[in-house]
Amino acid sequence: MRKRVVITGMGWITPLGHTIDEVWKRLLNAESGIAPTTLFDARTFPTTFSAEVKNYDFVQAVGAEAAKQHDNAGRNTKFALGAAMQAWRMAGLDGTKLDPYAVGTYLGAGEGGLDFDNFTESALMSWSDEKRGLDTKMWGEIARVKFAALRELEQEPNMTISHLSWKFNARGPSLNCLTACAASTQAIGEATEIIRHGDADVMISGGAHSMIHPFGVTGFNRLTALSTFNDNPRGACRPFDATRGGFVLGEGSGIVILESLDHAQARGAKILAEVCGYGSSCDAFAVTDQHPEGRGAIVAMQEALKDAEMTVNDINYINAHGTGTKVNDSTESWAIKEVFKAREGGPNSLPISSIKSMMGHLIAAAGAVELITCVLAIRDNMLPPTANYANPDPECDLDYVPNKARAAKVDVALSNSFGFGGQNDTLIIKRFVG
Amino acid sequence: MRRVVITGLGAVSPHGLGTEAFFSGLLEGKSSIGPLTRFDPTSFASRIAGVVPQFKTTDYVPKSYRKATKIMARDIELAVVAADFAVRDAKFVTRGIAESGKGDQLLAEGWSKFVPTRVGCNIGAGLISPDMDELTQAMVAARDGNTLNLARWGKSDDPSKPSGMDNLTPLWLLKYLPNMLACHVSIIHDTQGPSNTITCGQASAGLALAEAHRTIQRNEADIALIGGCETKLHPMGLLRWILLNRLTSKGNDSPTTACRPFDKDASGTVLAEGGAVLVIEEYEHAKKRGATIYAEIAGLGASANGVNVLEPDPTGEAPAVAMKKAIKDAGITPDQVNVIVPTGFGVPVCDASEAKAIRQVFGDSLAKQHVMLTRGGIGDCSAGVQALDLVAAALSIKRGVVPPAVNCPNPIDGMPVAQQKVETEVNHAVVLTCALGGQNSAVVLKKV
Repeated sequence: MRKRVVITGMGWITPLGHTIDEVWKRLLNAESGIAPTTLFDARTFPTTFSAEVKNYDFVQAVGAEAAKQHDNAGRNTKFALGAAMQAWRMAGLDGTKLDPYAVGTYLGAGEGGLDFDNFTESALMSWSDEKRGLDTKMWGEIARVKFAALRELEQEPNMTISHLSWKFNARGPSLNCLTACAASTQAIGEATEIIRHGDADVMISGGAHSMIHPFGVTGFNRLTALSTFNDNPRGACRPFDATRGGFVLGEGSGIVILESLDHAQARGAKILAEVCGYGSSCDAFAVTDQHPEGRGAIVAMQEALKDAEMTVNDINYINAHGTGTKVNDSTESWAIKEVFKAREGGPNSLPISSIKSMMGHLIAAAGAVELITCVLAIRDNMLPPTANYANPDPECDLDYVPNKARAAKVDVALSNSFGFGGQNDTLIIKRFVG
Repeated sequence: MRRVVITGLGAVSPHGLGTEAFFSGLLEGKSSIGPLTRFDPTSFASRIAGVVPQFKTTDYVPKSYRKATKIMARDIELAVVAADFAVRDAKFVTRGIAESGKGDQLLAEGWSKFVPTRVGCNIGAGLISPDMDELTQAMVAARDGNTLNLARWGKSDDPSKPSGMDNLTPLWLLKYLPNMLACHVSIIHDTQGPSNTITCGQASAGLALAEAHRTIQRNEADIALIGGCETKLHPMGLLRWILLNRLTSKGNDSPTTACRPFDKDASGTVLAEGGAVLVIEEYEHAKKRGATIYAEIAGLGASANGVNVLEPDPTGEAPAVAMKKAIKDAGITPDQVNVIVPTGFGVPVCDASEAKAIRQVFGDSLAKQHVMLTRGGIGDCSAGVQALDLVAAALSIKRGVVPPAVNCPNPIDGMPVAQQKVETEVNHAVVLTCALGGQNSAVVLKKV
């Protein structure tokens, strides 16, 4: 008999703020965290704006002692430590005695950022026109002086979980997955499976990422995946709108504390929601594009419904992947219509929204902040809007909760994440009732 | 409970291309570590490596997919080649294999097809470093002396000329995403079931195996391609490992004796590339199609050190817990284990931690076990490490043989390290892998 899994804590560090309620309020007000990029000079880049985390005070977020201990951590990891601290406290685990080997970590965290200045300078210094390549002998001499050991280690994608295990003495199963934009949804789904199977009582799960650096933006700009509405950053991300032109790069972290129901109840924890369904699939179709008929997306949603033992009538709200790119939004709408065609009242009776319109796309961390949004939608019976929606697209003809938050009874919410490379993940959570 | 077995092996290692080259290299007790020649390493303290012999990736993908090999970083190529070996070894006519035109003939010879939605793909990966020649060449167009001029990187002053970033191929980013190993493999072989990319350093493959194993147990899949591949043979990779004091600097003139796992004279590991993909399959499914079964996946355990990110667990407790969990999960006691395969980096603090863990689990019964060490002749290929060790353990069980250690004449802590090849029945082997960063994975394999 598999164990039931509940959420008992959550925290986030996002472009819209650094506490659960502040960000939630701003999402319901359709505010934007998108503005001209300040982390580097992007003024001549095809895209000059992004959704940055602003004014993050790491010392205040984690305390002076921890801030010192984790001082070398990368930007993404510092976001994760701050978000995890909030989640840990909300769960009432601060000071609680736990079996460290029953507390695990599973994140979908991205790689740490490159030491950009030293990397570019050392490479240019040792470029050989004659060889049309790097003089690696010269580079080695320069680099071994310039680069710092820990700064380099922090780029490895297992470092965020390493820091979390260290900080919270979490010695249970410890994993990180990096399946592009689906990573943290997948991490939460797989962490749920670990608890269900009895391999841990508590999992610190979620994601963290920051790709707002010159080569990160370069990579997405070369793929022409980013919105280039440089005159209107706040209105640049337009999920499901006919004029949508790409996603907006964001950064941050979302962390949830997952716990077996038995464990949470035994310690009298406040339960925020129950994780009841998880579905995962692979398109096996193309490196860049989703399967045009949303084959994998459909399977992920159907598997999640099956896992939750629910029908299409049970879902009250979908938090869409909704990146604001042309093809993705059409494909996701198509897939939702396919899955929910048998719903009473049809697929149009199901409200769907994308908070990426306000918060940008947190890449590996996107699924985690979106799942937290679903918990809040259930808590307050409020749906966050899809901002910047003005022009209906015949290919996207569902109820996207345009521009204004909406009061609605939400007991069950579904959250989608789809990644480059064909990874599709869906989570379903519900209001906890005994 | 659905049982899960290993039915296909595909290794790509410094010992050679393919599983036989890998395992016979281990059995011979040879070292394939040699001078690092992929770039000029003369200014680095360590100048040796475990290098996978040359291959053409296009030989391992269907014709229609050859173009895609242009956007494969070396890590991805290794996984694509390893997966090709693995599915052939398991005798599956996948989409990619069928395209060779010999599908019908292979089916007539007893090979099988699979249902794509019932097949997962879970391949571990690491941080993939960008090709520095390609990236720097693009930067040269926007240089101000030795500084990259971001304004000209974004947009050229001269509208007739490309900007710096325009010099990069549009799909540049996709060469370096860690999930591209599983992505390409899933497209080539048409695996549409649960897929993931675990990025937990050396322990990635065991954690990937554990996850895929559970999906098969839960009846969400019947088959999965699992494993891990990585190369660190890159100026950034070499530099990073040197800065972190991982590598020995003593073996530049004697590469074959440089990597000394569990030896009292160990002084650091050796940079390497490689990895493996394994086919795991539900037992009845495998039996029904008459598959070769190498071993059963009997027990799984995982833990984290919870200490400073740079250090191994000084007490050995966390890796010991991972092994204890796996042994308990297998429903056996430690004295039933015949072979222990630790990571054995040849980094003294790491080896000491693992030796302590082994003592904590096996205590006095340790005289009954063989400690099998694989790194000595091939080095540390990061996310490929545990995949190769799982292949070695599976073959040790299947063939009843324990390969000798390379460069370990004086084992630390009295570890029972085989100096010669030992022919013996192996009923249970435990593979323990401890990642740099503190994640530990233990897998118990059992003779079927």
